[in-house]
This record gives sequence, C-alpha cells and structure tokens, in this order.
Amino acid sequence: MPSQPPPPLPHFARTGHAAHCNRCLTGLPSSQIDVDAQTLAVGFYCLGTLDILGLLESKTNEVERKDWKEWIWEQVRTGSYGTGFKPGSYMTPESKSLSETDQFREFDPPHLIMTYVALLSLAILRDDFSKLDRQGITKFVRSCQREDGSFSSLPNSGDSDLREVYCAFAISSMLDDWSGVDVDRAIQYIRRCMSYEGGYGQEPSGEALGGTTYCALASLYLAPSSKHRDPGTSITPTERSRMIRWLVQNQTLEHGGFSGRTNKLADACYCFWCGASLHILGASPLVNSTTLTTFLSSCQFKFGGFAKAPNERPDPYHTYLSLAAISLFPPPSENKDDPNYEEWKNVSRIDPLLNATLETEKWIRRHVPAPSHYQTFESHEH
Amino acid sequence: MPRNSDDEDRKLYSERPEWADVTPVPQYQGLNPIAPIFYTPQYKDATEYFRGVISTGEKSERVLELTEAIIRMNPAHYTAWQYRYQTLIALKSPLDLELKLMDGIAIQFLKTYQVWHHRRLLLTALHDTPSSSSSQPAALAELAFISRVLMVDSKNYHTWSYRQWLLSYFDDVHLWTGEISFVERLLEEDVRNNSAWHHRFFVVFGRGQQQGEEDRPEVLKRELGYTKDQISLAPNNPSAWNYLRGILEQTKTPFSNLESFVQLYVSSEPPKQDILDLENPAPGESAELPCVAALEFLADIHEQAGADRVQKAIEIWKSLGDKYDTMRKKYWEYRIREALASS
Repeated sequence: MPSQPPPPLPHFARTGHAAHCNRCLTGLPSSQIDVDAQTLAVGFYCLGTLDILGLLESKTNEVERKDWKEWIWEQVRTGSYGTGFKPGSYMTPESKSLSETDQFREFDPPHLIMTYVALLSLAILRDDFSKLDRQGITKFVRSCQREDGSFSSLPNSGDSDLREVYCAFAISSMLDDWSGVDVDRAIQYIRRCMSYEGGYGQEPSGEALGGTTYCALASLYLAPSSKHRDPGTSITPTERSRMIRWLVQNQTLEHGGFSGRTNKLADACYCFWCGASLHILGASPLVNSTTLTTFLSSCQFKFGGFAKAPNERPDPYHTYLSLAAISLFPPPSENKDDPNYEEWKNVSRIDPLLNATLETEKWIRRHVPAPSHYQTFESHEH
Repeated sequence: MPRNSDDEDRKLYSERPEWADVTPVPQYQGLNPIAPIFYTPQYKDATEYFRGVISTGEKSERVLELTEAIIRMNPAHYTAWQYRYQTLIALKSPLDLELKLMDGIAIQFLKTYQVWHHRRLLLTALHDTPSSSSSQPAALAELAFISRVLMVDSKNYHTWSYRQWLLSYFDDVHLWTGEISFVERLLEEDVRNNSAWHHRFFVVFGRGQQQGEEDRPEVLKRELGYTKDQISLAPNNPSAWNYLRGILEQTKTPFSNLESFVQLYVSSEPPKQDILDLENPAPGESAELPCVAALEFLADIHEQAGADRVQKAIEIWKSLGDKYDTMRKKYWEYRIREALASS
C-alpha cells in the first residue's frame, strides 16, 4: 500500500509568531490578570520564542533588551532563605524601604520555578551574570527541599511536585553546583511518582502525565554522575520500555499530535513534553513526525502564535512549546517538495534537558557557573 | 455583611469609609516591565489595600473579605491565598465555614492549583486541631464534595490528585470503602476515563490495599474479571489495556495467563463461541476488530515465550506497522529490531 503524501504545509507565520510575543512582552490585557503572579514565565515563553526563531536581534532593539534584563534583575530577593527571583512585581511596594521589611520578605519571596525561567531568560538576553549571587541561589534551592526529597516552590510553602524538582535540578546544573540538592533523596521522590502506565504523575501516586514525565526524565538525566549513579540509570530497562510504549501511545490517531494522558485529546504543549521525553530516552526516531507536523501546523494561528489545538486562541506558552517541538522534530523529508518546507525547518535546535536553544545553552554553561569553575574547565581544554 | 456578596457592584476600597484607616500601598512595576498587565480599577485598588494590610500585618475579618475579592478576580494570586490562610488560623475562624465558601470558588476555578492547595491546608488543620472531636466527618464530606466536582469535570487532574491526597492523608477504612464503587460509577459513564482507571489502581494496589483486602489472589481475580468485562464492552480502549498490563506486572502474573482471552480479539471477525465462557468474555458484534492492543499483548506473550515464538511476535508487529496501526510503524519496527537483537 503506497503511503499517502502528507497534506500541504501552511505558510509558516514566522514574523507573526515574533509579533505575538512582542505584543505580550509589551503588555497584556486585563483578561490576563490570572498570570499576574507568573509574569517571568510569560516573559520566558516570549523571549524563548524569539530566540528559537532567531529573531531576538532583529525584532527587538538594544534598549528593550537592556530594560528587560534590568527588570529581571529587579526581581531578585535575598533573605534568610537565600537568593532567588520572584515572579514579577505583583506584590512589590513602591517604597523601596517598605519592600525590605520582614513583612514583604515573607510575602514577596523568591520562587523556585521563576528562578529557573529568570536564569534562562537572562541567558537568552546574553547577560554576563556578573550580578548573580551564586551561593545565595544554592542556599535558596536548599531551603526549598523537603523531608520527602521534593521541593516547594516557595521557601516553606507553595506547591511541591515534579515541576519544582526539575527546576531545582536545572538550576543546579546551570550553576554546576549541586550542593543545594540532596540528589539521592530527590531521585527517590521522582521514583515514587512513576505510574503503572509507564509515565510519571505529578506527585507520588498520580496519574501518568506528559509534562511531569518530562520533568522527571530531564531531572534524572541532568543529575550529576556519582560513584553509584550514572545519568539515567535510575530507570531500569523494563521501566524504559514501558515509558517509551506509553509515550508513543500518546501520539493520537485522531489528530496526530500528542496527548498528555491516555485517552485525552492532542495538545500542542504535549508535543513538546512527550516528544522531548522520547528524545531524552534516545527514542526520537519513534515519533511520527509526519502527523506531528500536520497537527502542529493546524494549531498555528495564521496571524501568529500557536494554540493548544486547532481553532483555539494562541498564547506564548503554546507558541514556545510548539516551536520547541518543531525544533526537535522538524518536518520529515516527505514534505521536502512542499514550498513551505524550508520555512518550517528553519527553527534553531534546542537542548531538550534545559529547554533552551543550543546557543543559549552554551552561553549558560559558560557564564552561569562560578567563574573559577569555568577557568578550571578551560585550563583542562588547553 | 456576608463575605460572599456580589463583587461587581461593590465600591472600591478607597471609597469605603470602613477602610479609611488603611494606607493603600501602590505597586512598583519598574520602568520597563516585562508583560505588564493592564489592571482593572477594581484589581488595582484591591491589591493596593492588600499590600497595605501586609505592611501592617493586620489579620482580621475584613482581610478575609479583601483576600476573597482578590481571589475571585485572580484565583492564581497565591499570596492572597497564603495570607488568607494565615488570617483564618490567627482568627481561629471556623474552617468548616471556610470550606463551604470555597466550594463555589473551587467549582468556578477548577483548573487553578491554589484552589486545591488551600483545601489541603484546611483539611490538614482540621485534622491537626485537638479540639475537633473527629476529622473523619470533614474528610467524608470532602469526598462527597470531590465527587460532585468530578461530575462537572471527570478528568480534572487537580481534583483527582486532591482525592488521592485526602485518602492517603486520613487513611481511614471508612474513607476507602466506597472508592471502588465510585470508580465503577464513573467508568459506567465513560469507560475511557483514564483518571478513573488510574484511581482504581491507586485504591486496589496503592495506598488502599492494606484496608481489609488481605486475600490478594481473590483481589487479582476480581480485577482481572472486571477489566476483561470492560474490554469486551469496548475493546479499543487503551486505558483498560494499560490497567490490565499494570495489574499483571504489579502482581508478577505472566501475560500468558491471558492468552485465551486475548485470542478472542485478534482476528478480524468476532469469534463464534458455542459455550458462553464467563472467564473470557468475547467482543460484541459491533466491535472493531482486530483490536490493536490485543495484537500487541499477544505479541508480548510470544516474545516472552522466546525461541521460535519470537517469529510469531515479529509477524504481529509487522502487521501492526503495515496494516493495523500504521501511524506507529516506526515503533513496531523498533520492537522487531529489539527482539532480534536480544534473541
């Protein structure tokens, strides 16, 4: 049976995607008040989109980039809990002296997930990290780890599930300093989140879910090797097979994209979470990139941005993750006669573990660890 | 004044005499902030008074009203939640009333983490308060509330996580007993509800298993029977097949024990059964056959048997890749390569 040619690709709305994100960086309408306490995350998805499209330099100017860096640095908080970034200025009082009181230290504290996205965003903006309080960040990560090995998003409060574990691991990897993490205890926690289906739930005993499976896997592969542990070896061969089976099963027959759970509909963000998980497991050739491309292209809003599913409204989160999925799984060669093929392929490659372009990842490795680390590294190379 | 009065027509805090003693604290946004939000006057006003309250450390009835107003405008405002909780504790407010108030907010903002996090804190506080004669009625009422919410959205991840947390945290036999019939009710409505299948696994093989079901062979038999029945009603349901695999692996039962059942689902025509085999219910007349999950299962049985049966597995994987599940062709080819490499 000859295979059918893939459906034609729509025009890739490259400048539209950049415009969508630039608009959001400039401001959000009042209907978006619910992201008030996570502004830095919105900023990361917008900046990440511009970075992955290679349009940061051409679609933003130097003054804007400098202002954004300054604003991100303004979100740094230091207290007895160490140093980290808060999600934005939603709680920050106008008076500087008031913001330094114990009251505001307690109720406007740094946030673990936001600290991860702040470091990524600053790297995208090619900050030199000379202002980074590395020991303070490590202390902050340490003060978020809980008895059961998990991490809370705020010092002593907030959510604590696999998302925070991933951020603690990614931050430690970026700093090349794991002294803030009890790695073995965290890995025990990760293992307790594994479900019978093969993926990881959000917390122990939870239903297998694409996003948190990515968090678990990326954490296990970012974890430093030690005498008794190599990257990824916390997963047995049986578990690996079961995980691959479940991930592949999540690519849905109906639309060709990935769903986040068994028997759910495809969603653009899970094309990244499940696709990147397969990539980390070395199983990316098992993804059907033909149907994946068809699905993601149908989630593209023709004036820019990606939505979670066809005919929904686009947002920066789904825009960035769709592009990150396209980066890992570009349209296959069957599409090569399509006039829009080259445009869809022209997306920067990303590092699936840190979720940043290879260039940005290189910048992170070079500038985020303490300078002495880097000198040692360089002297080894020469 | 009732705390949950309608927000819409309410005056700004800056116009209300009873708030005149609080100095509102404006927000510092920075000169060129990233993604600033165009606040409504109501939100800007309420958050300025919230910062004002934080700066003095006030914990009072009116703070409860203020935080509720903010939460209704932005349910993801985790600081308002956090401060609200501390205020409730400081005032020794009746937490059962707070739960009642939160019922409506939870149903309105189902997909917000904070809604559920707040309930966990409340239930934990109810559990830990020595004066409350028993926390079990609260937990039972909470289970009933969660059931109502799941009627609105039967696959909501937060709601299910919360149910699992509640059961584990209180870990009381009276709470566990109704869970299986609850799951069955949901699966009767939608047999493809994976969250319900997952919950069943959690109840039977997870935390719930100590609770009076010591006869594990009997439990396995019951679970196999139930799952086979559900598969016969809707054979192409990955949730049921994943559950089947899960219980076999959990109990270290060989897949081959189910060979005669699986055989009923692998041909293109429904099998002709002369005698009704209750152990192995056949697919219905209208079932789409062969069933991909059954073919996959049979191939796994062949592969596990090893030797010349690996070839049979390879033939099935070929048929899946070429005919029955072409979308996952690369996966089936990978299974063939893996099997050949290890045989």
